[in-house]
Amino acid sequence: MEFGPIWRAAMRNRTGPLLIAVQIALTLAVLVNGVFIIQQRIERITRDTGMDVENIITVQSFGFGEEFDKNESVRQDLEALRAIPGVVAATSTQHVPLSGSGWGNSIKPAPGEDAPTLNGVRYFMNTQAVESLGVTLAEGRGFDADDIEYPEDVGGAPRQVILTRAWADELFPEGGALGKAIYDNLDRPSTVIGILERMHGAWVSYDKLENVMLIPWVIPGRATYYLVRTEPGQRDRIMPQVEETLSRINGQRVVKGLETHEEIKAASYEGDRGMAIILAVVTALMVAVTAVGIVGLASFSVRQRVKQIGTRRAIGARRRDIVRYFLLENWLVTTGGVVAGSVAAVAVNYWLVTRYELERLDPLYVPAGIVVIWVLGLLAVAGPARRAARISPAVATRTV
Amino acid sequence: MLEMQHVSKVYRTDTVETHALRDFSLLVADGEFVAISGPSGSGKTTFLNIAGLLEELSHGSYRLDGNDVGALGDDARSRIRNEKIGFIFQSFNLIPDLDVFDNVDVPLRYRGFRSDERKQRIEEALEQVGLTSRIRHLPSQLSGGQQQRVAIARALAGQPRFLLADEPTGNLDSEMADSVMALLEGINAAGTTIVMVTHDPELATRAHRIVHVLDGQVREPADHATAAAAPRPAAGLRAG
Amino acid sequence: MIRYYTRLAVLSLRQTPLLTGLMVGTIGVGIGVFMAALTVYYLMANNPISWKSERLYAVQLDSWDPAEPWDDERPELAPWELTWRDAMALRESDLPLRQAAMYKVSIVVQSEREGVKPFQTVARVTDGNFFALFDIPFVYGSAWDRAVDDAGQFQVVISRKMNEELFGGEDSVGRTVRIQDKPFVVAGVTETWNPVPKFYDVNNGPFDDAEEVFVPMGVGRALELYSAGNTNCWKDEEVRTYQQFLESECVWWQYWVELPDVAQRDAYQDYLDQYVSEQKTLGRFPRPLNNQLSNVAEWLDVRRVVRRDNQVLVVLSFLFLGVCLFNTIGLMLTKFLGKAPHIGIRRALGASRAAVFRQQLVEVGAIGVAGGIAGLCLAWLSLAGIRKLFPGYEELAQLDLTLVGTAIAASILTTLVAGLYPVRRVCATAPARYLRLQ
Repeated sequence: MEFGPIWRAAMRNRTGPLLIAVQIALTLAVLVNGVFIIQQRIERITRDTGMDVENIITVQSFGFGEEFDKNESVRQDLEALRAIPGVVAATSTQHVPLSGSGWGNSIKPAPGEDAPTLNGVRYFMNTQAVESLGVTLAEGRGFDADDIEYPEDVGGAPRQVILTRAWADELFPEGGALGKAIYDNLDRPSTVIGILERMHGAWVSYDKLENVMLIPWVIPGRATYYLVRTEPGQRDRIMPQVEETLSRINGQRVVKGLETHEEIKAASYEGDRGMAIILAVVTALMVAVTAVGIVGLASFSVRQRVKQIGTRRAIGARRRDIVRYFLLENWLVTTGGVVAGSVAAVAVNYWLVTRYELERLDPLYVPAGIVVIWVLGLLAVAGPARRAARISPAVATRTV
Repeated sequence: MLEMQHVSKVYRTDTVETHALRDFSLLVADGEFVAISGPSGSGKTTFLNIAGLLEELSHGSYRLDGNDVGALGDDARSRIRNEKIGFIFQSFNLIPDLDVFDNVDVPLRYRGFRSDERKQRIEEALEQVGLTSRIRHLPSQLSGGQQQRVAIARALAGQPRFLLADEPTGNLDSEMADSVMALLEGINAAGTTIVMVTHDPELATRAHRIVHVLDGQVREPADHATAAAAPRPAAGLRAG
Repeated sequence: MIRYYTRLAVLSLRQTPLLTGLMVGTIGVGIGVFMAALTVYYLMANNPISWKSERLYAVQLDSWDPAEPWDDERPELAPWELTWRDAMALRESDLPLRQAAMYKVSIVVQSEREGVKPFQTVARVTDGNFFALFDIPFVYGSAWDRAVDDAGQFQVVISRKMNEELFGGEDSVGRTVRIQDKPFVVAGVTETWNPVPKFYDVNNGPFDDAEEVFVPMGVGRALELYSAGNTNCWKDEEVRTYQQFLESECVWWQYWVELPDVAQRDAYQDYLDQYVSEQKTLGRFPRPLNNQLSNVAEWLDVRRVVRRDNQVLVVLSFLFLGVCLFNTIGLMLTKFLGKAPHIGIRRALGASRAAVFRQQLVEVGAIGVAGGIAGLCLAWLSLAGIRKLFPGYEELAQLDLTLVGTAIAASILTTLVAGLYPVRRVCATAPARYLRLQ
């Protein structure tokens, strides 16, 4: 392998190799970081919410008029909604999970100032809460009709709650949360009657996304949301029926916000999804531009050296020796770029981490990126190299 | 050693057929210094390309050391060019981005020699042409005569069966031309066969034998005996 | 000569269509992507009230939990909002030129118009000064005065668009609209006002639309309206009735003041510090003194309105532009070294080095202009794509004249930088070298 002469020749005619090496370095830095960020975002978007998001419809009711009775309205609405053929379950809630709106909550495993406070989000729901969300009940039970309370204000502590396993484990690391009491900031107890395997709360960038509490209350106020879960495949057909049913049975309220839970979830992840797509496009373009650059410069270089290539053939190079020469030359340049690019990739990531609080790069991405760039370089130079190999040795004796 | 019988080379395009060589026959014995002489367009370059296996012949036979090389594949021809033929070109054809050492090294790499053997051969060849002191220079830093010497060293390093020279002094002034020719004569005296193509009749007389070429054919084959009777003495190597 | 050079340039570029296409395409792609990222950033970082932004200040008081700061990751920050008690107290000061306390509520509106169903919307509870504070012009009528605020009278100011919906666009001053089933009298109709970003309340989305309905301060209390924005409480206290809510340490009020000069600002800062110190003696404000006044630009900055993702994209697309730049240098080397014989002949015919240099620069410039146009098209396409990905970004992904000019200028600049080395290399070599026929 003629590394020595190739290197020495490249050093004497540095411009072309340098241009390619710089492009490769920049491309590797962006490729590695870009793909890393994309992968992170995809992970976030596709992580398991615990809920049957594809089959849930959400709608909001906002009562007006002096005679509007929310509690009665909720009872009637749920009865009517559950009667729609194809509906598996329906429940009321004050906010929709994953919508970006919610009520935070701080609870303790024991009364007193010394007990640790653990944060999460709470939803005031109704009977069929578990079935409407499509979550898995790991222990205990859901809410019965007897559990539902209609408090006059939200300042008190509920008698019974359902927690997610994540929150329960935080509160009671030794386990056995079922049946135990949790306490609010005024040391008032609530009993844990059920534990959900997993459920996501309100804010997708919240680090306590998996800490969710369900409370069997219908709270005062004119507004409520309904979550309606349908049989698989029935959702779109049933959606207009939900709005129509609610408008029909009670005209003293505004029915609005009819959306699929999928849309709501997508809206919350809009930023992540958009970023992933944009980054994918930019990274792909960058790789394409660099590839075209390699092809271009290699073609140019072959055309500049026609006489030299013919001479090499004349003095004994076979076609594959010529191909090998160009592949080697390209590989040397690419590797130079890759070395600089690896440093650049780490530097760019460091800067992203410190300045923009992004995640630290998983080191495996760098060698993976290097392999991609090597393959890219090889593919790009293959064409020009083959063309070079076809140059006839008779070129050496031409006088023009 | 080199035997061409009734060789012809035809170039065909859509409209025109060119007979660059017709019924060309040539016999070169070991150790000879033969000049192929003729005006431009006579087919000298075509002969050179055929003899050097740079192109395939259309008809006839070409034998080197008893082996038929006329119909070989590209890889086999490359190998023979690498091992048996040493090329010397009119415009030197050195690789401009490589220094003298690396230039002489090029054919040896294709031979597959190990690094120490290559080094030895390169140094010996450069010594033979008197350029050991310039071993790390670039071609741009050498005079025309020195560049041609490097090219000769490149041709010699593989210990070829014969040297094939195309107007070796065409791009040199008379003093450099003289020293290069003296070098070639010395190499020939030491036993290497040389076939030289030239349009300069005076240059041709420095060979043992002249073969005249016109319109793609051999004319007035020179007397083998006449050439052998008056060999040029080997001139001392002069650094140039 | 410029016209002559331009003609030569076009001829030359047409002779190598693939190479020219690649050069224009590479520059275009680099500029297009960069401009798209820069546009979104530039529009996001917009200061929508720039003529006044230096004099408008958001007020923050650190009434938060002594055990832990408002934000764990940025412990120097005070809460974004105030308690009701503090907001009411600050209103008593006459130091600021104008001031307004405010919060967002959710209401149901009923029009007297036939066929218009009741609908739910967001409104802002605020002082009558809100409009003068933010320079919001009126189409009809005017804002209410302080007496109305204090008494909690049922008056309302609506936007032009809301006026269209409720009253068909007529002068509705004095007419009635039902809000939360109570009759409200229209005091005024404002001109369309939708600052991007919604600087005065970025809590739930800095690029949300502004409210279209405004009601006086006292109305919130009279109708016991809770905030539809953010409410945060830290203290272990009972908060069951609306009255308890008002008296709690929960923060849910936003507060803006206008302080015309530095002296005023300092005076107001002193006033805030003094107020908090007094409150400390009453047992409130357990944390160290940390009252903040941020003008609009500072506020947008500390609230991180420009999303990190966008800033990252600007940087990455700049690196992409760099790759395109180096790519173009390579392409130009190919192009101009191919033109070497042409240049050699011109030099042999008497053109000076400077003359051929200028000629080639014009050619480079032509590529730059073409690349800029290509880049603008790509930027426009990219922004359309961004609007599709982010439906809320309608105003954030549009090219305006400044950006168009920036794109062309950036393209020409990039291309000139790329072309410097190749052109210099070709023009500097002795003509004889390229005129060699052998």
